[in-house]
Amino acid sequence: MRPQRPYSNPYLAGVSLGLVLLAAYVVMGRGLGASGAFASSAAGLTAAISPPRADSSAYLAGYLQADGGPWRNWLLWEIAGVLVGGFLSAWLAGRLRVETERGPRISDGTRLAAALAGGVLMGVGAVFARGCTSGQALTGGALLSVGSWGFMLMAFAGAYLVAPLVRRAWT
Amino acid sequence: MSGWRNASAATRLAVAAGILGVLAPFAGSPYLSAHARVDVDELSRIVQREEDHVAPLELARWIKDRREGLRVVDLRSDSEFVEYHLPTAERVPVDSLAHASFRRGDVIVLYSEGGGHAAQGWVFLRAIGYPHVYVLRDGLYGWLDDVMNASVPENATPAQRAAFEQAAELSRYFGGQPSVGPPRLPGSAVPALPKGGAAPGESGNAAVKRLKKRSC
Amino acid sequence: MTPLYEFGAFGDTGALVAAVCIGIAFGWCLERAGMGSARKLAAQFYLTDLTVFKVMFSAVVTAMLGAFWLGRLGVLDLSRVYVPETFLAPQLVGGLVFGAGFVIGGLCPGTSCVAAATGRIDGIVLMLGMFLGVLGTGLAFAPLRHFYDSTPRGTFTLPALLHLPYGGVVLAVVVMALAGFRGAEWIERRRSAEGAGA
Repeated sequence: MRPQRPYSNPYLAGVSLGLVLLAAYVVMGRGLGASGAFASSAAGLTAAISPPRADSSAYLAGYLQADGGPWRNWLLWEIAGVLVGGFLSAWLAGRLRVETERGPRISDGTRLAAALAGGVLMGVGAVFARGCTSGQALTGGALLSVGSWGFMLMAFAGAYLVAPLVRRAWT
Repeated sequence: MSGWRNASAATRLAVAAGILGVLAPFAGSPYLSAHARVDVDELSRIVQREEDHVAPLELARWIKDRREGLRVVDLRSDSEFVEYHLPTAERVPVDSLAHASFRRGDVIVLYSEGGGHAAQGWVFLRAIGYPHVYVLRDGLYGWLDDVMNASVPENATPAQRAAFEQAAELSRYFGGQPSVGPPRLPGSAVPALPKGGAAPGESGNAAVKRLKKRSC
Repeated sequence: MTPLYEFGAFGDTGALVAAVCIGIAFGWCLERAGMGSARKLAAQFYLTDLTVFKVMFSAVVTAMLGAFWLGRLGVLDLSRVYVPETFLAPQLVGGLVFGAGFVIGGLCPGTSCVAAATGRIDGIVLMLGMFLGVLGTGLAFAPLRHFYDSTPRGTFTLPALLHLPYGGVVLAVVVMALAGFRGAEWIERRRSAEGAGA
């Protein structure tokens, strides 16, 4: 096994991330995202199982009616790239390992339940916010969108408000 | 200066960001349209050669053939657009023309009532770099006269007759009323408006009448 | 002239190829920064490791400066870069719910993909939860739609909100970010000193 290398300097990694975002603006005229990939695959899967159920939701139907259908969604393919890029980076740095990351005071089961619950909450929040940390905070933030900055501030506020309640999970 | 050489990469980036940030307020607007440049000589030559125009019948053929990348742009007001517009046309107010979502390769045809706004819009779009921009000759009236109400005098030459046959075919395709004889009086034509044409409940006749009235 | 796609340099299939390439670079940067680690992200909210803040804001400042200057130099047509539309109330409420989910789950949607790809089980489970959250909201959308569509402001930017020139807002964000980085370093130093003292 390769030795595990430490993470990069956060500022250098951040600037690289910013350059990737800038490349997305320059190449595509749009930014990065993540939650849209979940939404488009949710729409595609619902349509595959029950088309009328999918069509009855204006939200899911929007993804179904997009050019090329839900499986040619730009963010879906971008997220496929994220999986590959994350894997390659971790592999080359010797950081691949199957584990459940958790705080020292909780069990793996509790951690996974919290991950599921947190994921559901973020899913709900991302629908209303029309994006997540990637699509709103980064993409819209760098383009000075008012809604994106509002989302970013409220997301940090929400996290800091709830943090003391779940301190046991992390420290 | 040795301080700079010894500085960490993060510090150097912070200094670079600081410099770019401090200069930003003095750089003006980052939007292209705010700094558009016009080659007056080139544009005036194009106008002189009348390469900035497209004839109504030519446009009719483009629309019928579903020419790729064709964007027919109506620059009139929203209510006028609802009343009547060319098939496949989209409404773009003049003040948002520079920010409309055209692609570089699009063939953009602008029209307004007579052609004043369209001619100005042509200059704007050329100035921000769109290569294929045209003004519909004589604007909406040109379309109504040459396409929807195509006509030919009774004593026309055979060549004129042949040209009319082609125009008449296009006219019928768009639901117009081609005619032989003296051109109809303004407002007497009843172009059956193609889908998306007139407002529901309003006859094409009334719409055209109102349009013609405004032109006086 | 850019954006390349907007000016017709390539078609829709090319766009998906670009999506994968940009995604790989995106995932790479997140992993290098350590953003695939839930404990590292959660530490942001207990002020013991402010990597999230540093990475996010250096990225925002970089992309903002890049977009501004490329626009000003005429390389990038900024009016053709899609700015997410603003719907004030649902975005503020959505942000609050999202933030709560972030600290409970420890990862955000993009970083959960990196965590999952590097073998973290919690990342995979969080992706599943995210999927269920979006799916559930999507299926129960009819009664929520009114709120979802409320307070629309269209494309609404800070320069328009504050009646300031674009460049002025850019400077303000740069100053805030640089001051924030100083503050973050100071907090981290104090925390580690406390930790050593305890």
